[in-house]
Amino acid sequence: MEDLRNVLELKDVSVHFGGRSGLFGNSGAVVKAVNGVDLEVRKAETVALVGESGCGKSTLSNTIVGLQAPNSGSVKISGEEVVGADRRKLNDIRRKVQMIFQDPALSLDPRSTIGATIGEPLLVRGIARGKALEKRVADLLTQVGLRPEHADRYPHQFSGGQRQRVVIARALALEPDLLICDEPVSALDVSVRAQILNLLVALQKRMGVSYLFVSHDLSVVRHICDRVVVMYLGRFVEIADRDSFFANPKHPYTRALMSAVPEADPIAQRSKQRFILQGELPSPANIPSGCAFHTRCPLATEICSKVRPELTRRDDGAVVACHHA
Amino acid sequence: MENDLRPLLSVEDLTIEIAGANVVDGVSFTVAPGKVMALVGESGCGKSLTSYAMLGLLPPAARRSGGRIRLDDLDLTTLSPRDLRKARGKDISIIFQEPSASLDPLTTVGAQIAAAYRTHTKVSRTEAYAKARQMLADVGIPDPDRRLHQYPFELSGGMCQRIMISIALICNPRVLVADEPTTALDVTIQAQILDLMKKLVAERGTSIVIITHDMGVVADIADDVAVMYAGRIAEIAPVQALFHKPQHPYTALLLASVPKLTDAPKADLATIEGRVPTPDEFGAGCRFADRCPLASEKCRAEQPPLFDCGGGHRSACWHIDRMPEISEVAA
Repeated sequence: MEDLRNVLELKDVSVHFGGRSGLFGNSGAVVKAVNGVDLEVRKAETVALVGESGCGKSTLSNTIVGLQAPNSGSVKISGEEVVGADRRKLNDIRRKVQMIFQDPALSLDPRSTIGATIGEPLLVRGIARGKALEKRVADLLTQVGLRPEHADRYPHQFSGGQRQRVVIARALALEPDLLICDEPVSALDVSVRAQILNLLVALQKRMGVSYLFVSHDLSVVRHICDRVVVMYLGRFVEIADRDSFFANPKHPYTRALMSAVPEADPIAQRSKQRFILQGELPSPANIPSGCAFHTRCPLATEICSKVRPELTRRDDGAVVACHHA
Repeated sequence: MENDLRPLLSVEDLTIEIAGANVVDGVSFTVAPGKVMALVGESGCGKSLTSYAMLGLLPPAARRSGGRIRLDDLDLTTLSPRDLRKARGKDISIIFQEPSASLDPLTTVGAQIAAAYRTHTKVSRTEAYAKARQMLADVGIPDPDRRLHQYPFELSGGMCQRIMISIALICNPRVLVADEPTTALDVTIQAQILDLMKKLVAERGTSIVIITHDMGVVADIADDVAVMYAGRIAEIAPVQALFHKPQHPYTALLLASVPKLTDAPKADLATIEGRVPTPDEFGAGCRFADRCPLASEKCRAEQPPLFDCGGGHRSACWHIDRMPEISEVAA
């Protein structure tokens, strides 16, 4: 019945904020951060979630790890329903999904040795202690390319790239099925970025972990992901396999994003056809009618401001929400 | 490169010291009028300190221990604090990475732009506001009359960066220093800001020194590029030469570590092993030697000068002749 190959299943998930009267009077507008999204992530698959700041990608990540309750919809991790689960159940489910963030310096306790940091989830859950814990920590450090003797050091003794390795080791301690990577390399220098990307790919091959990779860097996305999801103002506008996504992007917003990313090649970059979006992302408290993108879309016609396009499947398997693409 | 035009800005042998270590060490480059020079490098390479030195904005712990910075006939390094204040904004301006942190949250953006204008020009408040309004229109802010009276918190990051550009350019300086101007912005907004900067260069003939770590931004906007590593210039070249025929192992490896269209998915990216040395680890030789696949005894013992490779292309490497070996490592 349940498809166990899916480590994540989202069904019609919505997350709204505000809209109630608060301490400072009526806060009025409802911010519709996430609006009816469906998504599946398969075992050992990497799915990229792409969009501008304010599109709802962080709210969605928080909802998946259980830091934010959705207003409606269903979130299943490895077949287990998160929404409405009791504490014990939730605790159980949570070990299957872990998260890493952009800035490793802010994710580590400066006063704990990294051995203690990596071992903490194992200790808290009573999975290992004493010598066994030490051995497991040493093993995790080796897995992420650090050395067992690093366990006694503190975060400040490491570089940014090494700290991100520590964060990854901690996230993997409980052997999760799904790792949510929120801009995991954008705070790192270019040469270090490549090391961390190589590590993530190697760990996936070795452990079969799935990634939901939140990023705005399309060159990184193209490198690491199997499928790409584009989000605009709380809704998915395009979902496609990596190859068809990059070879034949369909939604005008996707095409604008791609043309906005500067390529590291002066000839290609200066001769490419530019398709620069005018204006900025509208406020999620005041989402435009019809297709939310119509205010910035070069293809927009009358229907776009009136009727919201549904996600429909195209010949090459891509799913797109646009009247004209 | 600079042969046909007299340089507008020249940095000569700039050395900056923090706690006895040369964190910027003998940096020299020139920028011609209306050209864009990019300073590229990883964190800690000294690119930001170099740019702050141009405006006399070095942090208290840092000291310029040698070299000059000239803007036309003006020696920026010998100016009195009073003259330096006069030059800032009028001759040379700067914009930073985080626009919302650079603006005064308690003052309307109109007042901030007008204040910058009135610092250098004797005009009435009304005239200054009119000028500010014009400037907002020039940097592409819709509905400037309303925006003038808004506070920074009411504007988005991209909008705030346009305000910063307005403040920096309202007195028509000859040089704009842009320290990671688009790093904090979304790619769609980054594209808008880069286009705006290109338009201003074309219309006003402003020279730009842009500091960035993003090779894509460099490829988009720069005429010339200086790649910095651990406080020194590793390689300096016109933009196309740098990307298509890098002459320093560091540049070549840096370019190879950026994922490209032609890469197979999830294939191993080229990496640079190790990390940037801290100032107390600087040795006598090439500072990249410990991470360099070409490094020899000579590299560890002796600092390489910038060798001329022709066409304005210079590289600080003892083994330029062995560069083809790098392409094998990087491939």
